[in-house]
Amino acid sequence: MISIERLSKAFDTARGTSHLALSDISLDVAGGEFVSILGPSGCGKSTLLYIVGGFVPPSSGAVRVQGAAVTGPGPDRGPVFQEFALFPWKTVLGNVMYGLLEQGAPKKIAEDRARALIEMVHLKGYENFYPKELSGGMKQRVAIARTLAYGPSILLMDEPFGALDAHTRTGMQHELLEIWERDRKTVLFVTHSVEEAVFLSDRVVVLTRSPGRIKEISRIDLPRPRRRAELLVDRRYQDYVVAIEKLMDDPAEVRA
Amino acid sequence: MTFTRRASEIAIGILPIALVIALWHAIAASGIAPAVLLPPPGAVFARLIEQAGSRQFLDNAAVTLYRLFAGFSIAVVVGVTLGVAATGSKAVEGIVKPLVRVLAPLPKVALYPAMILMLGFDDASKIALVVADAVFPILLATYQGTSAVDNKLVWSARAAGCTPRRALFTVVLMAALPSVLTGCRIGLIISCIVVFLAEMITSTDGLGYLLVRAGRNFETVDMFVPLISISILGLTLNAAFNALRKWLLRGFAEES
Amino acid sequence: MTRLTQIPGLPPLVAAAGLLAAWELAARVFDISGLPPAHAALRELPVILTDKESLLNILDSIRRMVVGFAFALVFAIPVGLMMGRSRLTAAFFNPLLMIIYPVPKAALMPIIMLWLGVGDASKTLVIFLGVSLPVIYHAYQGARAVEEKMLWSAAAMGMDARARLTRIVFPAALPEIMVGVRTGLVLALITMVTSEMIARKQGVGDILFNALAMAQYETVYATIVIIGLLGFVIDVGFERLRAHLVAWAEPAHEIAAVGST
Repeated sequence: MISIERLSKAFDTARGTSHLALSDISLDVAGGEFVSILGPSGCGKSTLLYIVGGFVPPSSGAVRVQGAAVTGPGPDRGPVFQEFALFPWKTVLGNVMYGLLEQGAPKKIAEDRARALIEMVHLKGYENFYPKELSGGMKQRVAIARTLAYGPSILLMDEPFGALDAHTRTGMQHELLEIWERDRKTVLFVTHSVEEAVFLSDRVVVLTRSPGRIKEISRIDLPRPRRRAELLVDRRYQDYVVAIEKLMDDPAEVRA
Repeated sequence: MTFTRRASEIAIGILPIALVIALWHAIAASGIAPAVLLPPPGAVFARLIEQAGSRQFLDNAAVTLYRLFAGFSIAVVVGVTLGVAATGSKAVEGIVKPLVRVLAPLPKVALYPAMILMLGFDDASKIALVVADAVFPILLATYQGTSAVDNKLVWSARAAGCTPRRALFTVVLMAALPSVLTGCRIGLIISCIVVFLAEMITSTDGLGYLLVRAGRNFETVDMFVPLISISILGLTLNAAFNALRKWLLRGFAEES
Repeated sequence: MTRLTQIPGLPPLVAAAGLLAAWELAARVFDISGLPPAHAALRELPVILTDKESLLNILDSIRRMVVGFAFALVFAIPVGLMMGRSRLTAAFFNPLLMIIYPVPKAALMPIIMLWLGVGDASKTLVIFLGVSLPVIYHAYQGARAVEEKMLWSAAAMGMDARARLTRIVFPAALPEIMVGVRTGLVLALITMVTSEMIARKQGVGDILFNALAMAQYETVYATIVIIGLLGFVIDVGFERLRAHLVAWAEPAHEIAAVGST
């Protein structure tokens, strides 16, 4: 589905030097797979996601989606950002309808589909609210509905629950899995929380500190559908978390 | 609680205005200043009310308003377009930024004689001066606002299928609306002031001309009337613009 | 290309040269009598600048501007700071300032001339009024935004109210005050030129309209260039000073600096 080939990204710094953010990343993600990218802050994990999204060009290497090279954003890859990035001048309904109208859907059809999605993310009754009137968790639900609206086959999620409080966060994780179980989209999920990555993913990719390289890829063999309450007391879940935690604070890394 | 506080603040605010008018009245009544130099406030306000019903006065006010809005409208179109274009294109930015750097600190009123030479003594040169003065705050506010828009808003639109050029006007400009409208409000008050000054410098009609004509004939009462009119006009425009701004920005978070 | 634009001052220079070239070209192509070519106007520059009377006129204008500007700062900064720290003071002054705000200060010239004559006093007073308003406004905003906790610590250390105003509020509000001062500088120049255009007795504004009346178009344009240069030099000079004084603060917002005539 997604194939990332020998990807590197360097940024020009303000001082005129060049900073290597990502180095030699190669990764294949199968259709319907849920893959998390985990790493310390500043390891370029979000940048990797932006390159797959086509928002930022790579310095070298390439990304292919179903065989076609990525040259820019497209409705086959829908982003969800930590900052929600909702359009403040549009209502909840307007935000969710946006992508459908951009895709040329007739207004009536767009509205019906948007209303159905809003109901799916449990925001029925909030259609005419503006984003500023919603809590963080509600905003993120709108953002997810807005992205699902135009039917991307891949979801690119950039620390989507990073700005939410712990309680809302676990609730949103469950909701996300529910949605995912239903239509099994391919998901690339960036996070710095080990528990979140293990709980959600089929595979967890651990990146090193800058420049970001792939340090290890762990397959998470836990049965689905997953329930947080059950996993917390599951030995296998705990082992995954501990093993990946260990990888993350490997002392050999700290020199950077 | 807050209501009584607000009420007392309004009372305190009216106090200095009342004091100024009382002092003005006292000086005029005491005869320290002869009426030719300082007419009593009662005479001025009576004249203002009388003039507000006079055809000739209203015609002159209409001329001023026409020049004001013609100039302001052109300034909004030019300023917003250039500001957005400078954010959207490195080439436009490379041309506009240094030009603004050179032209913005230039007192535009100094260009007025050149405008008269090229456009004549009629409306055109006055409208041109209004445009020259109002366009810079609008252009700068638009440029700064649009270049500060979060990339992720644009990416969200681009992923939904919006073209870069369309995104510039339907997303970037919309997201920068608070800043753009601040620039427009400054531009509006400037237009109000500049049109009056231009009419004072050379004109045969308009509120500014009425002031100069009264000055020439030593009709002091008639000198105060246009001044008070322009103040009321400015306050009214400002209040109307604020109401419009509040409605347009109903989705945006509150700011000062 | 990217490297060239990074040399400070070069892009504006290129822009200025481009404007002159466009002017020269337009004058040649359209050939209107009201628009002499750029080189003809520039040739007038040394003539004006070496003519004793014109030079004295220009220096007189600058002197009035400096005096009016200096008085305005001395008056407006304390008023603005006090408004920012006391709700009562702010409530007292705000509506009055709001009424005065949309009145063009130079438009007061004819009335002030009735009272004070056509001399320096009238023009300096008008410049003083023009500069005061934005400086009060920005000093007010700056003082209002000062962190309450900073003042609490100062009070805890035993500073009295006056010392807190001069030693805490003033420096903390300085970046915002500087925005107001910059707007004030631009306004001082504008008010100076405009008031002279309206009073028509002496100064740069008078030179402009005299030349216009006598159809000396080259002189008109040369004087515009001189005023433009003056504006640019003041602006650049002030930016240097500001960068030096408040190096620790965010760069000034440019919108405010060109705002409000």
